[in-house]
Amino acid sequence: MPAKKPNQWHEEVDVIVLGTGGAAFTAAILAADQGADVLMLEKANQIGGTTAFSGGVPWIPVNRYMKEAGIEDTREDAIAFLERLTLGKVPDPAYIEIYVDNGHKMIDYLHENTPVRFEMPVPFNEYYGHVDEALKKGTRSLDPEPFDLNLVGEWGSLIRQNPLFPPLTLAEGGAIGGVDFNKIAERMENNIVTMGRSLIASLLKGALDRDIKIKNNTPGKELVLDDNGAVIGVVAEDEAGEKIYIGARKGVVLASGGYEWNQELVKTFLKAPITHPMSPPGNEGDGLIMAMEAGAALGNMSEAWWYPSMQDPTMEYEDRIMNQTGSGRMGPNSIIVNKYGKRFVHEGTTYNDLPRAFYEYDPVKLEYPNEAPVWMVFDQQLKDSQMIITMMPGEDAPDWLDRANTLAELADIIGVDAEGLEQSVARWNAQCEQGKDTDFHRGTTQFENLLADGGGNAEANLGKIEKAPFYAVPVNLGALGTNGGPRIDENGQVISLRGNKIEGLYAAGNAAMGILGTAYAGAGGTIGPAMTVGYLAGKHVGSVPARNIKSEQSVN
Amino acid sequence: MPNGIHSVNVPLDIKTIWDFVSEMNNWAPLVPGYIEHEILSENQSTWKFKGDLGFMKKTVKLQIDIKEWNEPSQVLFDLKGLSENFSGGGYFEAEVIDEHTTKMTGHLDITAGGMMGPMINGILKNFVPQTAQELTDAIVEKLLELNSVSQ
Repeated sequence: MPAKKPNQWHEEVDVIVLGTGGAAFTAAILAADQGADVLMLEKANQIGGTTAFSGGVPWIPVNRYMKEAGIEDTREDAIAFLERLTLGKVPDPAYIEIYVDNGHKMIDYLHENTPVRFEMPVPFNEYYGHVDEALKKGTRSLDPEPFDLNLVGEWGSLIRQNPLFPPLTLAEGGAIGGVDFNKIAERMENNIVTMGRSLIASLLKGALDRDIKIKNNTPGKELVLDDNGAVIGVVAEDEAGEKIYIGARKGVVLASGGYEWNQELVKTFLKAPITHPMSPPGNEGDGLIMAMEAGAALGNMSEAWWYPSMQDPTMEYEDRIMNQTGSGRMGPNSIIVNKYGKRFVHEGTTYNDLPRAFYEYDPVKLEYPNEAPVWMVFDQQLKDSQMIITMMPGEDAPDWLDRANTLAELADIIGVDAEGLEQSVARWNAQCEQGKDTDFHRGTTQFENLLADGGGNAEANLGKIEKAPFYAVPVNLGALGTNGGPRIDENGQVISLRGNKIEGLYAAGNAAMGILGTAYAGAGGTIGPAMTVGYLAGKHVGSVPARNIKSEQSVN
Repeated sequence: MPNGIHSVNVPLDIKTIWDFVSEMNNWAPLVPGYIEHEILSENQSTWKFKGDLGFMKKTVKLQIDIKEWNEPSQVLFDLKGLSENFSGGGYFEAEVIDEHTTKMTGHLDITAGGMMGPMINGILKNFVPQTAQELTDAIVEKLLELNSVSQ
C-alpha cells in the first residue's frame, strides 16, 4: 500500500525524480529550469541506470544534427515510418505525433542549455533501411560526443560502466567492433568517455550546474498519497537503511527503469520469461510497483526490448556471468538452430525482432520448439574472420567454447538433433551456393550489414558452414529492459485505472508504458522516447503550482 | 608495462618467511581472486583466478615458471596467460633488517599483447599494482597469524 502523510517530512522539495538514467536526468533538468527544487534518488551505488550501460544513442526524427549534416527528414516521413513499424499496436496512437514533434525539441533544449552534445554516427544507417517508409540515407540516431569525465569531479567514478563498451563512439565502432585499440587506451588514460557514459556524464554536469541534489544508495520504496489520492512524496531508504519521508510539493517522476530483473513481474506480464537480462540488476520494477499501488493503469506490459543474448562465462558483472550482446550472428558461415537442429528465424535480423521467434507455439506438438537456449552454429571460417562474443579473430578458441570436428559430434555435445543439424547445414550451404536464402531471407535486410549502403547481401551475409572444427554457442532470451509500465498522458503524467490523471505522479523511460508499442525504430529506439517523455514530464511537473503538503492531518 | 611493487617490514626472521614463501601451496589461496592451482613440477605451475577489475570480474588461466630459487631471499618467476594473451613476471624478495625483522617485497608486471593489448594494458595499470599489494599484505598477515604475532 502507498504510505500516508507523515507527521513530519525529513525533507521537502518540489520534485522528486526516482532514477538517474537518461529519462530521469532529462526530467530533472527540465523541472529545475521551470524553477523547481529537484531531488534525484538512485537505488544503486552507481548512477546512470540502463542509459549509462547502453550506447547512449537517442533515435530522434528531424533533429538539428541531421539538418547540419544535410540529411533530409520530415515530420510526415517520420510519422509514416513509425506507423508502418508499430502496425497500429501502440498504447496511445497520439503518442507517435507527440514523440515526433517533441523529440527534436528535447534535443534542441539540451543542446542550448546543457553540455549534452551529439554527432551523426556516419556511416551508420537505419535498422529498417530496407523498408519503403524508412529514411534511405543516413540515420535518425545520434551519437554522444566524447565527454571529459574530469568535468564532473568525483561523480565520474560513480557513473556505471558497461565492460563491453570501450570509450569509442558508435561511429568509431564502440558497439559494433572494428575498433582502434590505441585510441581506446588514449581515452582511458585521459578519462574520456563515450556512448552511454558520455550521455549520462553530460546530463549529470547539467544537473550539477543547476544544483540538483542527487542521492545514491537511496531507493524510493513507496509513494506517499494524500486523502485524495494525489502523490505528495516518497518514502525512501537512506544509506543506513532507515526510512525517510521526502515531500514533493509539485510531484514525483518515476524513471527508475524496467522490471526485467524481477522474475515474479516478468512471469506475470511477459509472454516469455527473460532468462538473461542485460541491464543493471537493480531494475526490479520498483517504479511499476509504486505506480500500481497508487492505482495506475498499465500499458504495453507484455513487451520488452528483446535481445538474443550470449555469454562468455569468464566475464562477470556484479557477481553474475554477464549477459552480452554477443556478435557474429549476422556474419556468413553461421546459422541459429533450435533443439531439432532446424533454422527458425532470419539470424541477422534486429535484436529486438529475432527473439520474437523464440515464443512461437506449435499447437500440434504442444510446445515452444524454439524456446531458448537455441544455438548459433558456425565454422572455422567465421571464427577466423569476425569477433564472436569476446573471441577475437586469430585467437585460440577458449575452453568454454563447444566444438567438434563433425556436425554430428557437435550436435551430441550441445544436445540438439544431429540429423536435423546436418540437414539444416546442407540446405544452408546449398542456398549459399545459389546466393539466396529462400527460407528466411538472410542477406536482404539493412540491419545485418548496417554500415553498408544497401545493407545485407549474399556476399557479406551468406557463407557455407564447411570448415572444421565446427563451433556452437548458446543464444538466450535476453532483454535490454522491459517496455511496459503505467499509462501516461501527453505530459508524462500517470493515468489511473479509472482514466483520471493521478495528481503529482509522472513516469518516463522504461518505468513507463512504451509509447511505440513493440517497435524499436533504430539505434536509440529506447532512449529517444525515454528522454522525450522525460522532457515532457519534467517541463510539466516543474511548472505546476507547488502544493502545501505540510501536515494538517498526520497519520503516525 | 603495468607493474607494481609493494614492501612491508615483517617482525619475523628471514628463515620463517622463506619457509612459508618457498612452498607455493602455503600462499596460493592468498592470491586475490584465487580459484585453483596445479603444481606441474618444482618450477612450473598453472593457476586459475578471477581478477576484479572494478567494473567487471574476469576469470583467467596462467602458467608460472620459476626462474630462480635463491634461498633464503628471492624467488623470481615468469608468467604467461593460457586463456588470454598476456605475459610478465615478478619476484618475492626478503631482506634482513635485523635478527627479528625482515623486509618483504612483492613485485609483479603483466603486459597484454595482441590487438586488444593497448586497451587491456590501460585496465591493468591499476589492477597490477593493487594485486601486488594485496598479495604481499595477505602473505604478511598469514605469516603473522601463523606465528602468533599480534599486529
